[in-house]
Amino acid sequence: MTISGTKSLHGNRNSLGRLGLALFLALAILPILFSLGYALAYSTGLAGLLSDGFTWAYWAKLGQGSEIWASFGLSVYVAGISVLLTISLSLVLALYLRRPLGYGALSYIIYFPLALPATVAAFLVFQLFSGAGYVSRILLQLGMIDAVGQFPPLVNDAYGVGIIIAHVGLGLPFFILLFVEIYNREKLGALGGLARTLGAGRWQMLYRVHVPILLNQCFANIVLFFIAVLGSYEIPLLLGRQNPQMISVLTMRKYAMFDIQQKPEAFLIALLYTAVVVAFVVLAFRKGEVRHES
Amino acid sequence: MFLEINQLHKSYGREAVLRGLDLSLAGRETLSVLGRSGCGKTTLLKVIAGLETADAGAVRLADRDVTRAEPQTRSAVYLYQEPLLFPHLNVRENIAFGLRLRNEPAGEVRRRVDEMLDDLELASHARKMPTQLSGGQRQRVAFGRAIIIRPALLLLDEPFASLDVEIRGAMQQVFKRLVKRYEIAAIFVTHDLKEALLMGDRIAFMKEGRLHAYESRDAFIRDPDIGVLDEIAFWKGLLGD
Amino acid sequence: MSHKAIGLRLRPAAAALLAAVCLFPFVYLFGLSLVSEWSFPAVWPSALSLNLWRRVLGGSSALGSSFLLSLGVSSVVAGLSTVAGFITGKFIAYHPRRSSLLFLAYVPFVMSPVVLGTCLMFLYIKAGLTGNVAGVMVAQTMFAYGFSIVFFSAFWNAEVRALEDLVYTLGGSTLQAYRRVLIPVSRGALLICFFQTFLISWFQYGLTILIGSGKVQTLPVKVYEYIGEANVYYAAIASCLLVLPPALLLWANKRFVFKQV
Repeated sequence: MTISGTKSLHGNRNSLGRLGLALFLALAILPILFSLGYALAYSTGLAGLLSDGFTWAYWAKLGQGSEIWASFGLSVYVAGISVLLTISLSLVLALYLRRPLGYGALSYIIYFPLALPATVAAFLVFQLFSGAGYVSRILLQLGMIDAVGQFPPLVNDAYGVGIIIAHVGLGLPFFILLFVEIYNREKLGALGGLARTLGAGRWQMLYRVHVPILLNQCFANIVLFFIAVLGSYEIPLLLGRQNPQMISVLTMRKYAMFDIQQKPEAFLIALLYTAVVVAFVVLAFRKGEVRHES
Repeated sequence: MFLEINQLHKSYGREAVLRGLDLSLAGRETLSVLGRSGCGKTTLLKVIAGLETADAGAVRLADRDVTRAEPQTRSAVYLYQEPLLFPHLNVRENIAFGLRLRNEPAGEVRRRVDEMLDDLELASHARKMPTQLSGGQRQRVAFGRAIIIRPALLLLDEPFASLDVEIRGAMQQVFKRLVKRYEIAAIFVTHDLKEALLMGDRIAFMKEGRLHAYESRDAFIRDPDIGVLDEIAFWKGLLGD
Repeated sequence: MSHKAIGLRLRPAAAALLAAVCLFPFVYLFGLSLVSEWSFPAVWPSALSLNLWRRVLGGSSALGSSFLLSLGVSSVVAGLSTVAGFITGKFIAYHPRRSSLLFLAYVPFVMSPVVLGTCLMFLYIKAGLTGNVAGVMVAQTMFAYGFSIVFFSAFWNAEVRALEDLVYTLGGSTLQAYRRVLIPVSRGALLICFFQTFLISWFQYGLTILIGSGKVQTLPVKVYEYIGEANVYYAAIASCLLVLPPALLLWANKRFVFKQV
C-alpha cells in the first residue's frame, strides 16, 4: 500500500488542521466569495430591489466618464503622493536620525503616534489646518495673513492636501521605525563600511547600498500602505470634498443613499476596487519576498 | 533483529530519496551510518521515528510492525543536529520532560534527573536556561532528555557537527558511555569518517538512497569508495616529502 | 563650517523637532479637552477647566458607556480572531500550498472594510446581524482574522515544528505537546496578536457604522458624531479616550502596537 505524506499517520494533529481549514473557509473565504458574487449579480441587475434581469447598463456607464473614474483617479493620486512623501521623508529621517532613534528619548517617543487612529488623525488635521484652524490663527497673529480667507484651503480642497497630510503623518513613524529596524537587521552599517573600503563615497554608499536595500526589504509594506490609503475611509470622509470622493467614501454613499438606483454602482465600484487590490497584492507577493515578522 | 527495515522507498515529488533501503540492527548495538550530505540520511531517521511516512516498505521495531504507527508509540527518539531544547524550561525540566509526560511521581523524577545530571556532569547547571549554556552543554542536555526515558532506539542526526573539535571528542565519549550504561540501541549518522569508525559497533555507508553495511571494520576501511585509503595515502605522502 | 559639521550640529535639533511633532497631537488633544472657552482668533484658550472630564468620568455622559462598549467589543474580537488565527495560521504555514493560501488570507487583511462590508451586507441582513453588537463583532472579527492568519503563519516556522515533533518522539500526545510546549512557547506571540487585533477593532469606524447601522455607539462612532455636531471639545475628550488604551499598550510593550508584515 502506498501512502505519501504524513496525513494519515497523525490523526490527532490533523483534526486541528482540519479545524483551521474549516475556520478559514467559513469565516473568510466563503463569505467573501459569496459577497463578491452577490456584488457582481447586483451590478448586472440579476439581484437587488430594482433588479429587472441581466443588464450591462451600469457597467456601460463607466464608458461615459462617470464619477467613478474620477474617484479612482483621485484615490490613486492621493495614495501615490502619500506613499511617495511618506517613504522619502521617512528614509531621510531614519538615516539622518538613526542614532537618536536608537538611543535616548526619541527612540521611545517615535512610537507614540502609532497610538493614533485614522479618526483622530483626521480630526487633528481638521483642527489644525482648516480655515479657522490652529495654524491659520498662528499665521494671523504673526501677521502673515490678514484674514481667514487668505489661508490656503488645505482641507476639503481640490488637491486632497489635508488627506495627504493625515496619511503621511500616520505613515511616517511606522516607516521610520521599519527602516531603522531593517538597517540594524541587515547590518547596513557594516555593509556601508565595506562599500567605503571598496571606494564608494558617502552619497554613493547611500544610494547604492543603504537605500536600495531598505526599499527592497520593505517593498511589501509599501504596497500595503498604498492599498490602505487607497481604500481609506475615515480621513477622506472628514477632510475630503463632495466631488470627487475617494473610493470607500463613494461606495458607502452610493450604498446608503435613498436613491436606490445608486446601489448597483456601489457594488460595481467594490468589484473594481477588489480587482485593483488583488492585482497589487499579487505584485507584492511576487516582487518582494513577503518577509514575515512576528 | 531488534530493528528491521525492508525495502524502504520515499520520494519527494519526483526526487527519490530512499530507494529500496534495507537495514538491520541488533539490540544494544550502535550502527554508524556514513553518508555525504543529501544522501537521504535525515529522511531515513525521520521515517524510523515516524515523523515521515515511507511510500513503501516496512519497519519492524522490537518485533512490532511500526510502519504506520504514531511517533509517540514507537519509543524511538530523534535527535536533531542542533540541540533543540525547550526554550521556556531550564536544564532540569528539559531533562525531566519525558518523565513528566508519563506522569512519573515527583520523587522518582527528581532522583532520576539528579542521576542523569551527575552522569552528564551538568549538576551545577541544573537551574540554567538553554540560552545560558554552551553548544556542548546543550547537546548533553538533549542527550539526557532522550536517554532518561529509556527509549528503545536513539536516532542521532549528525549530533556533533556544530561543535568545536575539542568538544566533539568529549561528547563522543559521553555518548558511548551513556549508550552502553543504559543499554540503548542507536543509529548514529555522520559525514565524518573518523566519527563513523569511533562511534559504531557496526558501520554502514549510505549512498543514493541505499545502505551498504560492512561485516567488519576492516572491510569498511579497505573499501575504496569510503576514502579511508585515500586519507592514509595523503598523510603518508606528506611524511614522505 | 563644513557640510558634515553643520549636519552634526543640526542633528540634535532635528531630533528634538521630530520628538516634538510626535508628542504634539497628544498635547493638543488633551489641551483641547480641558478648554471651556476659546474664541477665534486667539492662539491660546481663554479658560481651562476639568469640567468635561468630571462629567465623563462621573458617568453622566454617553462617552463612559461608549468606552465600555468598545472595550467589550474589541476584547471579544481580539480573543476570537487571535485563537482562530493561531489555528489557521498553523494549518497554512505547514501546508504545501502555503503561498496560495496565504494570498487568500491577505484579502480580508488588506481590503477596505467599508468596501468589502457593503458587499457583505446582504449576508448580514439575512442573518440578522445588522444594527446590533453581535453583527459588529462578527464583521470586525472577520477582518482581524485576516490579520491574525498572516501574523501566525510567520510564527509557525520550522523550529516550532521541530519542537512539536520532538515531543511526539519523546512519547507525548498532541494535547501534551500543546499544553507543555507549544502554548508556553507561543505565549508572547499570542499576546502580541491579541493586542494588535484589539487595536484593529478598537479603531474601526466605517465598518461599525455600516454593519451597526449607526446604532452601535462605539468610541470612534462617538468621535465622529461630535465632530459632525461641531462639538469640538467633546470630540477632543472622546479622542483622548480613544487613544488611551493604545498609549498604555505602547507603554507596556512597544511590540503590542507596532504592526508589520
